[in-house]
Amino acid sequence: MSDNLSVNRRRFLKTTATGAVAATLGANIVIPGRANAARKKLRILQWVHFVPAYDEWFNKQYTKEWGDKNDTEVTVDNIGIAGIAARASAEISAQKGHDLFLFNWPPPTVEEQTVDMKDVYQELERKLGKSIDLGVKSTYNPKTKKYYAFSPSFTPDPVNYRQDLFAQVGLPNGPQSWDEVRTAGAKIKKQLGNPVGIGLANEIDTGMAMRTIMYAFGAHEQDEQGNFVLNSKQTLEAVKFVKALFEETMTPEVFTWDASSNNRAMIAGKISLALNAISITRTAEKDDPAISRKIQLTKALRGPARAIGLEHVMDCYVVWKFAENIDGAKKFLIDYTTTFRQAFVAGEFYDFPCFPKTVPDLSKLIANDPKAHPPEKYKVLDDVLNWATNVGYPGYANAAIDEIFNTWVLNVMFAKAASGAATPEEALREAEAACKRIFGKWKEKGLV
Amino acid sequence: MAALLDSPRWLGVLMIAPAVLYIVLVVGLPFVLAILYAFSGVTMGSRTIEFVGFKNFISVLETTKFQTSLRNTFVFALIAQVLVMVLGTVLAMALLKDFRGKWLVRLLILLPWVAPISLGTIGWLWILDSTYSVINWTLEALGLIGADGWFMWLGVPYLAMGSVITIHVWRILPLATVILLAGLTSIPHDIHDAAQVDGASFWRHLFQITLPLIRPIMLVAGLFGLVFAFTDMIVIFVLTRGGPYDTTQVLASLAFFTGIQAGDLAEGAAIALFLFPLLLAVAVAFLRVARRAEVT
Repeated sequence: MSDNLSVNRRRFLKTTATGAVAATLGANIVIPGRANAARKKLRILQWVHFVPAYDEWFNKQYTKEWGDKNDTEVTVDNIGIAGIAARASAEISAQKGHDLFLFNWPPPTVEEQTVDMKDVYQELERKLGKSIDLGVKSTYNPKTKKYYAFSPSFTPDPVNYRQDLFAQVGLPNGPQSWDEVRTAGAKIKKQLGNPVGIGLANEIDTGMAMRTIMYAFGAHEQDEQGNFVLNSKQTLEAVKFVKALFEETMTPEVFTWDASSNNRAMIAGKISLALNAISITRTAEKDDPAISRKIQLTKALRGPARAIGLEHVMDCYVVWKFAENIDGAKKFLIDYTTTFRQAFVAGEFYDFPCFPKTVPDLSKLIANDPKAHPPEKYKVLDDVLNWATNVGYPGYANAAIDEIFNTWVLNVMFAKAASGAATPEEALREAEAACKRIFGKWKEKGLV
Repeated sequence: MAALLDSPRWLGVLMIAPAVLYIVLVVGLPFVLAILYAFSGVTMGSRTIEFVGFKNFISVLETTKFQTSLRNTFVFALIAQVLVMVLGTVLAMALLKDFRGKWLVRLLILLPWVAPISLGTIGWLWILDSTYSVINWTLEALGLIGADGWFMWLGVPYLAMGSVITIHVWRILPLATVILLAGLTSIPHDIHDAAQVDGASFWRHLFQITLPLIRPIMLVAGLFGLVFAFTDMIVIFVLTRGGPYDTTQVLASLAFFTGIQAGDLAEGAAIALFLFPLLLAVAVAFLRVARRAEVT
């Protein structure tokens, strides 16, 4: 019995060990694809695009055709946007990963790990003219004079409003200013029961919306030179405005929201207005054509200082210093950007170009979209390249701005004031202390 | 080789080695790395570890966000753990009895533990959603609230904290129940029989016989639950991301937002490790008490 057991144990261990060795070696010996080592490889990681048709085109058509032309085997891995930061961190830790890595926001904190994209910008500027300011300010660090990323495109963040509701309070073309949102929004809430739906939660849409209001009021986290300037009369006015806007036009629902809540609330017919990408209208076109006809878009709303809007998604590609095909990755970016019109169409106008000349007929395309109700619904975005700006405006999207955004400092400032948990002055003081510390920290690290 | 495999001593080492290796690689190394990070200036982009002493700890200590998160962590962990222990004991005692459909009840109780936590929490996100909450819908259908009286489960500070605690309890309860059930089944029947013969009431039986006898295992269940509650962030990350206005922000979620989302790995590690000395002391104390209380 004992002998048998010993033999079995020994056999078991031997068999297991042999199996493991065979499995490891075998994969390298017998898989025929591995023999094809001469062909270059390009590995791309990017998000699961909001528009599935884009991934279909990019993964199965564009990258395959590009790969054939450039004798390269291109593989694309798509992951959810929530996993991007953790994945980037893992690739940096391992010093191994993809050749091209797409962040959906400016990633200044990874600058030391990325190759300079100056040559990509120079080549494209030579071919296509300058990138819009938004693209440069989301990928360039003036302190280190390095392009730590490259942005071929961005997603606008227009105002989505219920045309039927605003028409009933005398604004058939929707609001044109933040004051009109407040007055008309209050009337709609009171008379028709639909609140305004601008998030006041720890999530990305709130971060964008609150900055849109701040910048329209002339309030900023930093000035053009990157000096910290949050504590200003204009910021206080913006905070007071949001508090009034919440009290008069919204409900506590906005404190509960995640990034897709405003989409759901708008499509469910609950809210009168939201700031979002065209994801709301595109979803409505597919799921609820009746509500789709009621939801229209406007340009950036006017505030006391200016009419300005933010990007909703900033497509920022980085090439890691440890990437195995740096030249291939850069060439891919140049080619992809040069032919960006295809991406613009495949993505159903979700991504707009940072190099305007790549889509010369942009106005014409968006003025007649067969899926839209009416077909010219997206025409209001024809000058979006002029009014969309970056997080951190009028300065660059630097590491301090990134941390302030990702730890929700300004979201909390506005939400605390709006809810009454703090006075606008207290909320601003608290945010100022937090932001000042963050700016100081990143200055010390040499990135700001 | 053959001689080694036949030796019980070496075979034991060989068999346990994968588990030890697994723990060292998956738990030990990241933990040591986190300690190194917490005392350095490392960011997501810079890989050079430059020693900065306690600077990261001192720097975060003075921030309102950290102080709020620290307070929330204690509120969240302590309330959740008290509920887990009380409910776990009740459930374990109920499951000790024989009744029809016991297997189904056991299965249902174990489900939250078996299902992936992120998936379960996303289910709760929908249950508590501001537009589609099935709880609010039911309350409205029963005429208990009006259309404009919906509860904002994740939007009002006390409701949000109550919600994340409830879901955390829902998730941890099966583990505590199973541990406590194991403890209850290990009590010899003759002790219960003797108590019954002596005419001990239910409460006397519970507090003077059952609970003292399972105290070591209760302490283990309590320790597991407490460590989970102090260090886990999935429920909060999925449901509130610390909102409304940081009233459910805990150290674990703040560490993630600071270290991974915002790229300051050093400060994120410092936040994550802040409670480690306290948790270590609690763990040592719990285990010592449990050892002393062991019934031989």
